[in-house]
Amino acid sequence: MSASPEAASSTIYDIGYRHYDGPRLGRRAAVTSVIGGGLRAVFGLGRSGRSKIIPWGAVILAALPAFVAIAVRVLAGEVLEVTTYDRYLWDVGGLLPIFLAAQAPELVVNDIRHRVLPLYFSRPMSRADYVGAKLSAMSLGLLMITLLPVLLLFLGRVLAADDVVAAFGDEAGSLPGIVGSGVLHAIVLAFIGITVSSLAGRRAYAAGAILGIFLVGGVVSAVFAATGGALADIAPFTNPLAILDGTREWLFGGSIAESPVQASDAPLWTYGAATALITLLCMAILVVRYRRITT
Amino acid sequence: MPGPLISTQGLTKRYPGGVTALDGLTVEIGEGVIGLVGANGAGKSTLIKILLGLLQQTEGKATVLDMDAATQGSKIRELVGYMPEHDCLPPDISATEFVSHMARVSGLPAGAARERTADVLRHVGLYEERYRQIGGYSTGMKQRVKLAQALVHDPRILFLDEPTNGLDPAGRDEMLGLIERIGRDFGITTIVASHLLGEIERIAGWLIAIDAGKLLRTAPLASFTEQTGQLVVETEDDSAPLAERLVGRGFGARAFGRNVIIDLATVSGGEYAVYDAVRDDAVALGLPLVRIEHRRHQLEDLFRTDVPGGAA
Repeated sequence: MSASPEAASSTIYDIGYRHYDGPRLGRRAAVTSVIGGGLRAVFGLGRSGRSKIIPWGAVILAALPAFVAIAVRVLAGEVLEVTTYDRYLWDVGGLLPIFLAAQAPELVVNDIRHRVLPLYFSRPMSRADYVGAKLSAMSLGLLMITLLPVLLLFLGRVLAADDVVAAFGDEAGSLPGIVGSGVLHAIVLAFIGITVSSLAGRRAYAAGAILGIFLVGGVVSAVFAATGGALADIAPFTNPLAILDGTREWLFGGSIAESPVQASDAPLWTYGAATALITLLCMAILVVRYRRITT
Repeated sequence: MPGPLISTQGLTKRYPGGVTALDGLTVEIGEGVIGLVGANGAGKSTLIKILLGLLQQTEGKATVLDMDAATQGSKIRELVGYMPEHDCLPPDISATEFVSHMARVSGLPAGAARERTADVLRHVGLYEERYRQIGGYSTGMKQRVKLAQALVHDPRILFLDEPTNGLDPAGRDEMLGLIERIGRDFGITTIVASHLLGEIERIAGWLIAIDAGKLLRTAPLASFTEQTGQLVVETEDDSAPLAERLVGRGFGARAFGRNVIIDLATVSGGEYAVYDAVRDDAVALGLPLVRIEHRRHQLEDLFRTDVPGGAA
């Protein structure tokens, strides 16, 4: 059924409808575009200036130690070690909950609250595709804090050396730990942030809940660690960041004196198990949560 | 003659709570603007969601564009558009940003998504305001954005669920005009689910009436309102005595309140014989006549149980 010319010219505002004959890229493109849209949301792109403050502030603050360390190294040589690859994430760890609490709700809460999900699910993507895309967007966003600064530190240390090639040889052994630890932190934290957010009715509640988990966990963990004895053994397990630090140490080595992991006698593999458990729990909650959403 | 765009065979959906939303629905849907009418809860939304592959049927089969809705939902959803009944727009981004995002999610490349977003928003009548946040829009503007996101990827079939919900009369007129244009000028088959028969009557060429999950009737709109071969005699008082007298003459006549309905097929001697008989009997009874007319089907009759030809 196509419009006859008479019919088309009879309507004043008819400016001609053009059909689309180009490619339809299907499910993969749908998922990619949700990840892309998610990253824009995480960094406040296409949004007001105010929504850029926390994400970009966190990225800049997280990179600061790397710049300081490089500057010190350039000026003072190897006399003073400002930070190391192992302890970098623990040192900037405070920024992670803030970034997560501010940006994870941005990704999922409004889609549920304003019932946008049926519009996604009536396109070539499944519920699992949608959740996977949002988790990916959050993880990629977190890498700007958990990986980028440490890579900057790595690059700085190599380039600041007198013999760049030799320095690269010296430092390259740390690369798997840098990348592995950064990716581990990003993925697990994304799971926690997205899961908690998906259960909250409003962005503010979600942000509060995420901050609460890390704040309460951190305080309890510190108190337990200071008490000593059996409480010190379980101390790291109340704080997600300490669990991640234990897992990092288990996988890649390098202990940090201030981490509650040091005060605990728990074997390192238990941190790995705890991390896996948290991730699986988040997955299960997400599956149930998104299955229950009616379209 | 191409096959139907959509067909269902014995489509049944029972929800876990024991509610049967669709009950053995078999129907074929061709091109044009199609009205899917039924009371609230008749199963209209359930049917649309099964056709989109969003819900799995309990029994039966549904085919859209020659694809099985149960197994090829993702492929179908590339080629259809859906405007839900409820609010579904995020308030904190602009219509342009949202609609072009949805175009990308439908599988359009970035450039095409941008172009078509501009085109479609103009077609639905959103101009300067499209750069403002959706949260500040009126209900009418939001409905246009909902329509635009369903149209942006140039679907073959458009599903609109109660598209005039919450609109004032002027907004309703504009929305109906738009839908008519989409079906007629854009050539996109549009299935409009509505419980408002008056609106469907204005735009649809074909009608599918469902009630309690069952197909009541599917036919061109015109056939729903054609003459019935019956004569309606309206009187000013109880019409039962008049009906009785006419039955005594051998006519097929029944009384409905102050109306008598006479089946012309049962009358020998032509229509004028009926007029004479009605006049004579009315005079004999002292019953004032109001009018005599040919009865036409009305769309509403479909869902009424108190008139002949309605739902049983």
